[in-house]
Amino acid sequence: MLSIIGKDIHVQFPIYDPRMRSLKYSLGIKHLAKGISRVTTKSWDVGGQIGTGETGRIVVKALDGVSFEVFEGDRVAILGRNGSGKTTLLRTLAGIYEPVSGAIQAVGRVFPLFDLQLGMDLDATGIENIWLRGKMLGLTTKQIRDALDDIADFTELGDYLHMPIRAYSTGMALRLAFAISTAITPEILVLDEMIGAGDDAFIARADARLKTFLARTGILIIASHSTSMLRQWCNKGMLLEHGRLVAQGSLEDVVSAYQSEVAAERR
Amino acid sequence: MLALTSTHLDSAVDDLRNGLSSWRLSHFLAWQDVKQRYRRSTLGPLWMTLSFGIQIFTMGFLSAFLFGAALAKSFPYVCSGMLLWALITQTINDGAGLFVASARYITQIKCPLTVFLVQTVWRNVIIAAHNVVIYVAIALFFVVVPSRSMVLWPLGLLLVVICLSWMALVAAVISARYRDVPLMISNIITVLFWLTPLMYFPEQLGKKRFIADYNPFTHMIALVREPLLGGTPTLNDWLVVLALAVVGWVGTFLFFARFRSRIVYWL
Repeated sequence: MLSIIGKDIHVQFPIYDPRMRSLKYSLGIKHLAKGISRVTTKSWDVGGQIGTGETGRIVVKALDGVSFEVFEGDRVAILGRNGSGKTTLLRTLAGIYEPVSGAIQAVGRVFPLFDLQLGMDLDATGIENIWLRGKMLGLTTKQIRDALDDIADFTELGDYLHMPIRAYSTGMALRLAFAISTAITPEILVLDEMIGAGDDAFIARADARLKTFLARTGILIIASHSTSMLRQWCNKGMLLEHGRLVAQGSLEDVVSAYQSEVAAERR
Repeated sequence: MLALTSTHLDSAVDDLRNGLSSWRLSHFLAWQDVKQRYRRSTLGPLWMTLSFGIQIFTMGFLSAFLFGAALAKSFPYVCSGMLLWALITQTINDGAGLFVASARYITQIKCPLTVFLVQTVWRNVIIAAHNVVIYVAIALFFVVVPSRSMVLWPLGLLLVVICLSWMALVAAVISARYRDVPLMISNIITVLFWLTPLMYFPEQLGKKRFIADYNPFTHMIALVREPLLGGTPTLNDWLVVLALAVVGWVGTFLFFARFRSRIVYWL
């Protein structure tokens, strides 16, 4: 059974003064981050908490002791205000950021889908880009060959598929990227905002494709602010605040916790 | 801060192992880079071959004129040396920009960093292979016959590429953290050009011959150049390059293991 379990995850981002990015400067002068030493460590409404890391450097505590258990069939919505750590959590789940402490144990392959057009080349044709993007998604040559017709048909791009995608409109390129990206069968899918593509005429077809795509997905974890969309696709929720997980459980409970948090700030 | 734990080492081994076993992806990406150059101009990387040819032509005459060698000696000598020197400089310079150039991939998907190292090294080997055309033309014109030590030539080239790989990786890691390092590296390489026997012969340094002898690049060049010119690399050349490959990779591995997980935070 697929699962992904997080245990007391801490992720910190070092904050670099531009001068600290210079080797000449760092070797010459032995003091750290004078420019940002004025930053206080009191907490703010948005963003992670600011503190000092192990080495005394100024860090943003983007995730501060996050623990959760997610199992096969779960459709988890991640809610939280700007800077609460949603994207960091997604990237940590995907294995992109390695936590300072704590661990993530995943049974099944975690599949992040943040940038639909990653790996695509403006100077290559539509067909070539199916190969490029397909390889980037980790598909084998056979899998791409098998999916090629389906992808081409779905995009309705016709002869455009044999032209460099530089000639495409933004919407056309996105259609192609969407079609390729949804050709996979992910075990644990991680999304930052719902994916989609197309104008009004296309959107019904895109929705149908999305529905079957998500149906084949073992575990879905998605971050968004759109509660209506999350209600459509999710059954569970997690609420992040300043990098801490303040609520988790059924979607409705977490959504109402989120809404009261937002309402409290408006007042 | 500099503590190196077994987790660091294990993850670095995983990165190298998974990266090397994804050689198909590296090859695909490298080939894509080369194809992109072909797409932008019909001559593609051959433009670089053309400029390489012009460089050799100039240097060949200059070397003959300044150092009093016959054209039949200076042309093949300069060309075979520069063939490898171009590979060395380009690989190390590209290495310095390696993680920054692949930042979009590194921050969006979980992918062994080694994949991008192999991509960079392999791309430069492919491009260097284009330049061989110039050498073949010169060798035919001046009737230069390779020696029987050509049997070991592939092994010599492989050793050199292994050395270049760790140099590129070290440059890549430091440059991801300190953004002024790529410029320093390219300055150092320019100085090394003058200290390496490429336009002149080591003997011509007279009493100052140690400049060439203590320069590891001299031995890397000799390993590849000598067989082409009908000579034989010395045992000393082999031992120096072998030691450089082994010691270099051990040191680089420890360095990479310590900082690997931090690289994504620096991008």
